[in-house]
Amino acid sequence: MKRKSNKKFNKRPQNPLNKLSLFQKSDSRFSKKCPLSGKDAPVVDYKNIKLLKRYVSDTDKIMPSRITSVSQNKQRKLTSEIKKAKILGLM
Amino acid sequence: MNFYEHTLIAKQDISTPELEKIEKKYTDIINKTDGKIVKVEKWGLLSFAKKIKAYNKGFYIHYKFEAERETLEEIKKNSVIDNSLLRHLTVKYKKLDTETEYFNEKDSNEKKK
Repeated sequence: MKRKSNKKFNKRPQNPLNKLSLFQKSDSRFSKKCPLSGKDAPVVDYKNIKLLKRYVSDTDKIMPSRITSVSQNKQRKLTSEIKKAKILGLM
Repeated sequence: MNFYEHTLIAKQDISTPELEKIEKKYTDIINKTDGKIVKVEKWGLLSFAKKIKAYNKGFYIHYKFEAERETLEEIKKNSVIDNSLLRHLTVKYKKLDTETEYFNEKDSNEKKK
């Protein structure tokens, strides 16, 4: 029986405006899928500057993964590749 | 034997025969020390994101090769001393993909437009 109730909890209305108070945590979370992992994902490489520029702020800082929703593994790779591109003066 | 990629940045005010000399110099170094060159790419004159040693632009040469540790040391020795180079970078790879060329494609697309 307990499991059934859990399922119901997950199926709550997913509109964030339905919250009772400001401090209540919202049940609905927007989809967080890593854009760099999975099938036919783009290659993270220091030559692929078009891709790397998406994960850098206006002042050339590396964006945190909590904003870009990149996975841990790929974020580590991103930082190393961005630093390589900066050494070569490409970014 | 491992796969490596090596990129050089030469100064902007170098003449074209000198550029070819530099390119030949490093291919010779790789060949002499029992390395195998897979591919050489010339990215041409690119502008930097920031100034490097008071230069705004530089010639890029990109090598893809298979070699032992000794060749890397030899390349590093030579490129540190070389006055006509601004920077260099070697990266180790498990597999080299020789098909995608990130810098040549752009140029060809722009010319078509």
